[in-house]
Amino acid sequence: MRTTRITEEERAKAFAPTRKPEVTERQQLDVRYHVEDFAVEDRPRRFLEAFAAILRHSNYRFALDHFIRMSAKCSRCSTQCQVYQATGDPEDIPCKRSELLLSVYRRHFTLAGSVRGRILGTGHLTDEKIQEMAESFWNCTACRRCSMECPVGIDHALITHLGRYILSEIGIAPRALVVSTREQLEGKTGNTSAVPVPALVDTLEFLEEDMEEEKHVAIKFPIDKEGAEFVFFPAVSDFLMEAESLMGIAAVFTATGDSWTIGTGYFDGINYGLFYSDRILERVVTKVSDETKRLKGEKVLIGECGHASRSAKYFLPVHCGGKDALPVYNIMEYTYQAWKAGKLKLQPNAIPERVTYHDPCNIARQKWILEQPRELLKAICADYVEMTPNREDNICCGGGGGTVSIDEIRPYRTAVGGKAKADQIRATGAKYIVAPCANCKKQLRELVEDQGIDAEIVGLHDLLYKAIIFPDHMIQPAVPADAEDEDNPAAEPVKPDSAGSADE
Amino acid sequence: MATFEWEDVKIEVDEDGFMEEPDQWNERVALALASTEGVDELTEEHWKLINYLRDYYQKYGIAPMIRKLCKETGFPLKKVYELFPSGPAKGACKVAGLAKPTGCV
Repeated sequence: MRTTRITEEERAKAFAPTRKPEVTERQQLDVRYHVEDFAVEDRPRRFLEAFAAILRHSNYRFALDHFIRMSAKCSRCSTQCQVYQATGDPEDIPCKRSELLLSVYRRHFTLAGSVRGRILGTGHLTDEKIQEMAESFWNCTACRRCSMECPVGIDHALITHLGRYILSEIGIAPRALVVSTREQLEGKTGNTSAVPVPALVDTLEFLEEDMEEEKHVAIKFPIDKEGAEFVFFPAVSDFLMEAESLMGIAAVFTATGDSWTIGTGYFDGINYGLFYSDRILERVVTKVSDETKRLKGEKVLIGECGHASRSAKYFLPVHCGGKDALPVYNIMEYTYQAWKAGKLKLQPNAIPERVTYHDPCNIARQKWILEQPRELLKAICADYVEMTPNREDNICCGGGGGTVSIDEIRPYRTAVGGKAKADQIRATGAKYIVAPCANCKKQLRELVEDQGIDAEIVGLHDLLYKAIIFPDHMIQPAVPADAEDEDNPAAEPVKPDSAGSADE
Repeated sequence: MATFEWEDVKIEVDEDGFMEEPDQWNERVALALASTEGVDELTEEHWKLINYLRDYYQKYGIAPMIRKLCKETGFPLKKVYELFPSGPAKGACKVAGLAKPTGCV
């Protein structure tokens, strides 16, 4: 990766304080994200207690023991870290970041480390170190490119995750995430964006009307249908932000005829626990499993969202039944399989503009979903181009690891975290950036706005919606404009490829 | 939480400047909040958007989907950004006295 150092001007903007000095004083914490008030006394002791409790009730010890033995601090990871490449700050080198927590582990939780520390009277955890961790761990986008480069296999993103988890247990976590998960787990609406069920139903009915108008096909969002094959969980924010993605998904199911449903008991795929707390991760993923079982559904279907997909795919088996856990699919896997099986017909060259694809880290790094969206895009786009690097080597949007929800650090995200991505997007000259992830979509929209790039961020299904060819029997006769047209033989069924609205 | 004062208006706002108690919203409050968004004057078009948001919020307890907002008010998204430079969620909703949107919004 070539160096993408930011300018001094960008640096000043990205690192400008975002909090009032009195808040920093009161919380004795100097970070750029907002934190709800928490007990400031005796922080090191409480940090160590939380760390000890987590070690006792998890498998982290095995990983940490391995990491402290193997860590050579060779800094090869720095060549892959887009944050370090932008800031040039040694504090941002991934193995330096990991060392913040590994040093605490070595000093307080290994025999050799604690004996040496006691004899020399050094290395014990201080408030300053907690301050450093609170800042450093949230500068990382958890994209895991560093782990790919590490010659000894240290998973820096896992260490960052654990660090954030311990910090959250003593009250230090971005308020944006804490407020959202509190509503999801304890609030009246039970989802991160606080969407009440009547608003959900109103939204879906509105979209159904729009689709009927545009496609002349009765495309429905089945609600609370028991026994459906797929129970659908998009990032709940899609119900506010991503009309076209949802319409595309409903259109795909209408065309294939497979059964799916959205449950009113729970309809949010978002799981911020993946970013900062295993405890929350477990509780949220359990909600997904419970709702699917309540509706007697066979499979969990996650919408266009990277972290939602990864948290369900990998943690539903961990927390909800092991080998008997419900199978988890991402919507792109379903659509691809349906297209390959001939259940879905797509119009070639339906999208004349140049299109490129952004791989969300959470589904690409482990090579889970790489080719399916590409093949679908090549089937419908006249001018498809790749970003470089791509697939499992992709560059993060710059808002990964939950940072995208923290609005107060937007200047940091778009100047530092997203710097490399902005260069990549510019180089493609694409009109549409397909980013099948609610996190990536939000970040990339802010990125192109702040970096002055003329590109539109869309989901995969936004474009598929324009290209789906419905079977003739589904297409309804055009509604006559007025009574005089009733006997007009011209009122024939409108096919999607001839319907002007399809390209709007 | 902080107290925000503008002329005769005095309200409680969060760190992002959103109202803590949306029930206390009135047209003077809208003017006060607009001043924090770089909007000095609320035109008829601003009010159309604000009133639609408030009606929907009072009925459903949340802001409408952006596509619905655009369709029902007749303003394309670009126009919404012209009216409220921070956009529908962070700008228009704030002036309409809605709580700060949470999650990936």
